[in-house]
Amino acid sequence: MSSASHTSRPPMRGPRLHRSLDADRLLTLACIGLPLIGLILFFAYPMVIVFLRSITVGDSYGIDNYTEVLGSAGFWRATRHSLAMGGATTALSVFLGFIIAQGLYRCAFRGKWIIRSIIVLPLLAPSLVQALGLIFLLGRNGVISRALGVEIEIYGFWGLLIANTLYALPQAVMIIGAALVLLDARTYEAAEVMGASPWRQFRDLTLPAARFGILNAAFVCFTITITDFGNAAVIGGDYSVLATEIYSQVVGQRNFNMGAVVGIMLLLPTVISYSIERQAMKRQQAGQTTGQVAYQPSFTPLRDLCMAAVSALICASIVAVIGIVVYASFVKLWPYNMSFSLKHYNITLAGGYSSLWMTIVVSLAAAAGGTIAVFLLGLGLRRLPQALAQPIQILAAMPAAVPGMVLGLAYILTFNSTATPLYLLYGTAALIAIVNFYHYHTQGFLTVMTGFRQLPPALEEAAGSLGAGLGRTARDIVAPFIAPMLVSVFFFLFMRSMVTLSAVVFLTTPNLSVAAVTIMRLDDAGLTSQAAAFSTCVMAVVCVAVLSMKAILALMGRRNQRKGAV
Amino acid sequence: MYLTVRDATKTYGTFTALDSVSIEIEKGEFVCLLGPSGCGKTTLLRLIAGLTELDGGEITLEGAPLSELPARKRGFGIVFQSYSLFPNMSVAENIGYGLKIRDVPAPEITARVNELLQLVKLPQMADKLPGQLSGGQQQRIALARAIAVDPRVLLLDEPLSALDAKVRATLRDEIRQVQRALEIPTLMVTHDQEEALALADKIICMNHGIVVQAGTPEDLYHRPATRFVAEFMGSSNLLSAEDIARHFPDLLATHPTDEKTYLACIRPEQIGLTPAKEGSATVRSISFLGNLQRLEVDSAAGPLLVETHGRVSCRMGESVDLRIALDACTWVLDDAGQPERSAA
Repeated sequence: MSSASHTSRPPMRGPRLHRSLDADRLLTLACIGLPLIGLILFFAYPMVIVFLRSITVGDSYGIDNYTEVLGSAGFWRATRHSLAMGGATTALSVFLGFIIAQGLYRCAFRGKWIIRSIIVLPLLAPSLVQALGLIFLLGRNGVISRALGVEIEIYGFWGLLIANTLYALPQAVMIIGAALVLLDARTYEAAEVMGASPWRQFRDLTLPAARFGILNAAFVCFTITITDFGNAAVIGGDYSVLATEIYSQVVGQRNFNMGAVVGIMLLLPTVISYSIERQAMKRQQAGQTTGQVAYQPSFTPLRDLCMAAVSALICASIVAVIGIVVYASFVKLWPYNMSFSLKHYNITLAGGYSSLWMTIVVSLAAAAGGTIAVFLLGLGLRRLPQALAQPIQILAAMPAAVPGMVLGLAYILTFNSTATPLYLLYGTAALIAIVNFYHYHTQGFLTVMTGFRQLPPALEEAAGSLGAGLGRTARDIVAPFIAPMLVSVFFFLFMRSMVTLSAVVFLTTPNLSVAAVTIMRLDDAGLTSQAAAFSTCVMAVVCVAVLSMKAILALMGRRNQRKGAV
Repeated sequence: MYLTVRDATKTYGTFTALDSVSIEIEKGEFVCLLGPSGCGKTTLLRLIAGLTELDGGEITLEGAPLSELPARKRGFGIVFQSYSLFPNMSVAENIGYGLKIRDVPAPEITARVNELLQLVKLPQMADKLPGQLSGGQQQRIALARAIAVDPRVLLLDEPLSALDAKVRATLRDEIRQVQRALEIPTLMVTHDQEEALALADKIICMNHGIVVQAGTPEDLYHRPATRFVAEFMGSSNLLSAEDIARHFPDLLATHPTDEKTYLACIRPEQIGLTPAKEGSATVRSISFLGNLQRLEVDSAAGPLLVETHGRVSCRMGESVDLRIALDACTWVLDDAGQPERSAA
């Protein structure tokens, strides 16, 4: 039903566009035009280039690259591994995610806020932190392996499976939780009075309601897993997957065309799963009704204590994996001398902390520029006829289907070529900010669109009839209304930019690096403790960002309340 | 007595939702719990359904205590204000769900579902999903679903409040017909006195967690016990005993003999009105409502509301005489509790 709110808009918008002032039309054009040019230049065009490069053989086009890749055993092994890893991670994270979501929304026990805060921790760190943590816990020198006196082979399938599951779990919990919230209390009470046992209510009401959520979560987890590079690079060992395969083709063998082919191959499953996911989301939203009464679970000892225990266990493992990284960063010589030391914070690898400052600057730029761009786009789209708005919306929602590795590869192919003046951007921090924004464009765009959908068109029309132009309406009516959404988008873009690795890994140069890449290089160089220290710094910055966001949103909420109270 | 609630008490923190409430429902009776929002009527219904736990008191069905029985073992039927059909099941599956739980064979379920669809006048809707139905249709299906299992008691929680006026009136009559035909003991919660008057065999009027008065609709309308009931059950003129003594001394004959403070309650349609030169009152305003006229008159006892049927040749500012029969005046206790709804 998500599209209904577009179509139900009063049909007077089209004609009004022509009647309104020329300045307004110009402004609308700019609102749409600038973000659209950005999308074409920094998303559509590089994607075309990566496709063209995949079919470039010498000076002409052909499918030779594809036949070569499809004929290589390495590619098929990586594909097999990627699919197996994706499938296993999806099954595990959806299963665990369902348990946690069920505990949070359908059971009664105290301390849910702790579970809620812990479960999102993996999103606040570069993905390779899970892998680092597992190495500190279960690796050759890990605390658990040494305590048990056993040698665990953590590099490879099992290590990667655990790391990826921890990374995908927050998404699974959020998506399934959102689906569980949809069913209201009265429905359960009706079933209860009709004689349905708790198990029957779960089977006949909860499961069908969560069906699309589960499906949706499965696709998201699968996509995250097969496109993630950080965990695979650190803990994958010899277990090659498609993401590491692209990296070794491009960085190891300087074989850009082959990299492009593998990239296109990686694009196929993510595009398919993303489009199914979008459909599932629409179906789920169609079931929503208004005037619901929230479900208030009553305490049922056996069920609730079990669920609380399982949730606590899962959270404990997340805390252990991330906490051990922080702990290890403060230890003199892991695991032989566990006394406190700050020496690992003296980063020795070339550049030191410069990449951390650089990442903060780049992330701020991506967040500020990105928030403005999606706001303008959302504002402009409201004033465009449906026939024009729809294709732009589809384009704006597309970047989420493209794995970061593929986008990064597309950028290096596009911008490291002297064919266009865009070459000037290559090797600059600006390009890294840009790739980060377009990598996460979809999520930001959809959040703002959700905000716009809640804004009644009548408000803008009222402002218009009082004589306010588009600029004034945007400033006085629209921006204050969706300000909380804009704050969320800003911090979302900032945090993702702080921790992302896959898209930027191709775009860093010896003089220009970002935090996640530095962590990978430190780990590659065997400086695991320094990698842990650097990770801790990144996590600290992101935690400050999260707290700032919470504070700002709370402040905005309170100010609105105060206004209402007067 | 079929269903009995004795001294039911329920508190939420410091707020007393129900304070030692006792009610009774006889076999086949239609009982309305009537009161303003927050009076405890919904809490009482949920206690009877087993959806909320009792803090004190007892509920018995045919003499057997219900307290230990969870909601799903009570064999009741319930309809909520917010339809609450199962969104993932078709209309037929919704209606048949209770029977399926009771392991009734499929052909029997189908037959029963069809019968019920006829009863609620939606025979074509079996395969539709709840989302495809209008509010009134959904509520009919919710009713069919509740009565499908031949419930021992039917509980209706403001079932008509979410519907628009026309649908509400139709569905009100249908609920009454179905209840009469099947003779299911029914308890309905409502804040709409008109609805309660039209449907109930017995009305239980509640305020601030206690039962203020229970009785037939006629009782509550014509013989309200307290000022709250008088004001909640439609418009009335409330006059102090002093005013009555001064201006309508005849009516004092029925004044109760105890020491409590009573007010005279006179329904507007019980006041007779004839134009007269040098009359005792003056017409201040007239609103024409089609079948009746509502007049505000200034009398020596203060402003009074009068309703007349048929044509009355009164004009604004005209002088009139008032007549009040002895049996038109009911003495009501001036209860300390402030009424939530003032007389129109």
